[in-house]
Amino acid sequence: MKHSTWRNSLISLITVVILLVIWQIASVIMDAQIILPRPLVVLQEFFSFFASPDSWLAIGATVLRSLRSFAIIMAAGLVLGIAAGQNTAFGAVMKPILSVIRATPVLAIILLAFLWFKTGTVPVFSAFLMGFPVLYQNLIMGLSKRDTKLLEMGRAYGLDGRQLLRYITIPSLLPFILAGARGALGMTWKVVIAAEVLTVPRYGVGSSMQYAQMNLETATVMGWTITAIVLTACGDLLFDAIDAALGMGMRSRRSRL
Amino acid sequence: MITIDRLSKSYRTVQGPLEVFNEFSLDLEEGRITAILGPSGCGKTTLLHMIAQMEGYDSGAITGVPRSGTTSVASLSYLFQEPRLLPWMTVFENVDLVLQNHLPDRHERHERADQFIELVGLSGYAHLTPKELSGGMKQRAAIARAFAYPSQLILMDEPFQSLDADLRFQLIAAYGLLWQHNPRTTLLVTHDIQEALLLSDTIHVLSSRPASIRGSIAVPVDRGSRRVGNRDLWELEMNYYDKFSARG
Repeated sequence: MKHSTWRNSLISLITVVILLVIWQIASVIMDAQIILPRPLVVLQEFFSFFASPDSWLAIGATVLRSLRSFAIIMAAGLVLGIAAGQNTAFGAVMKPILSVIRATPVLAIILLAFLWFKTGTVPVFSAFLMGFPVLYQNLIMGLSKRDTKLLEMGRAYGLDGRQLLRYITIPSLLPFILAGARGALGMTWKVVIAAEVLTVPRYGVGSSMQYAQMNLETATVMGWTITAIVLTACGDLLFDAIDAALGMGMRSRRSRL
Repeated sequence: MITIDRLSKSYRTVQGPLEVFNEFSLDLEEGRITAILGPSGCGKTTLLHMIAQMEGYDSGAITGVPRSGTTSVASLSYLFQEPRLLPWMTVFENVDLVLQNHLPDRHERHERADQFIELVGLSGYAHLTPKELSGGMKQRAAIARAFAYPSQLILMDEPFQSLDADLRFQLIAAYGLLWQHNPRTTLLVTHDIQEALLLSDTIHVLSSRPASIRGSIAVPVDRGSRRVGNRDLWELEMNYYDKFSARG
């Protein structure tokens, strides 16, 4: 078991190295920086961002927009998801709205939002519309799988409504909330950056990508792409840490209530 | 004494009303274990639900169910077919949780939880979560919770059925011992005559729907000598088969 996970990590690492080598060989053969810059040049470009205040402003703006959007998703998703779980009529109201949002192409939402809002708001709004259904759907699933037998037990032993919520409903929903939040945040990064590319607010990772693309600075576009990947990975790592902390909490909670 | 007086209950189904109880009456003696023995689907669980106020009934009355404090909420312990422990809590926390509203003093509460966990033989396992326990240990934890909870009535819905024979008799014996130290009015529903004989003072044999009492068996056997193979219990079992099984 341990041996095979170690072996699989090695295989993954070798795959990455092979892909980089192929990239290097292709860029040398093509010998056209505009089409395919060399990996080292892209990496240099990526690290050069750290030295430039403007790059930090761009990254900061994108992170702020994403977090703002994510916060709204969490608030709206939890309130509306739980409301729909408690009240089936409300769930029925939400259903067609969700279906329409999910079926609408991201770009259509961004373009429409561009007509309605000022530049900086478009990424936040678009990411909210794309990320919200992810959290909402997870919550609905969690509520539908809720163990009514445990609630029955709680009521039989005289727990009040507040205790049922705190000790039974919320802990049983927690894995679904976390999975939904993780998916929503992943979606948020992508949509915020896409909306920035299209609407070009003053600062933003997407705006910087757009400028670089117009100037045919392919290495810079790729450098910003790496930045976007790193941001998404940071979000994932954050959720991994939360998952691990909760798992540890379960085990090490020898302390008493 | 808990009195069930001319209780009627029917369910609406696609095929028309399904009559589960029709003018059903029964008395539960205080401080005794009463068993209801009946075929599957005769409404045994429904009866427990109605006593526990988890389900309503059409007519009749259930009186004498102990209340908690001045409220109208029934104060009772419920042992379900499954252990129904909260999976995100340890054994200790599961027992401690149901005591919170009754023992505000933390120290006193923890002591009581520990005491009952020890009585069911789970002392070394109090800090484990249910998924780290075997089926029998989980049901032991549920029994600890039922007895630690300061109620005057225990309802049991075939809590030993999911266990294999050896473990089942072991747990029934453990339950009997615990009950002797903390005797409380208990209603056990089961379809297993041996289980009923090992645990109860009186057995009421139920017919199928709508349920009525076909007959009752008193079990005047000393609790200390109750075990599988006990001669008196064996005779009662044979009598039961003669009287009730031939017709079925």
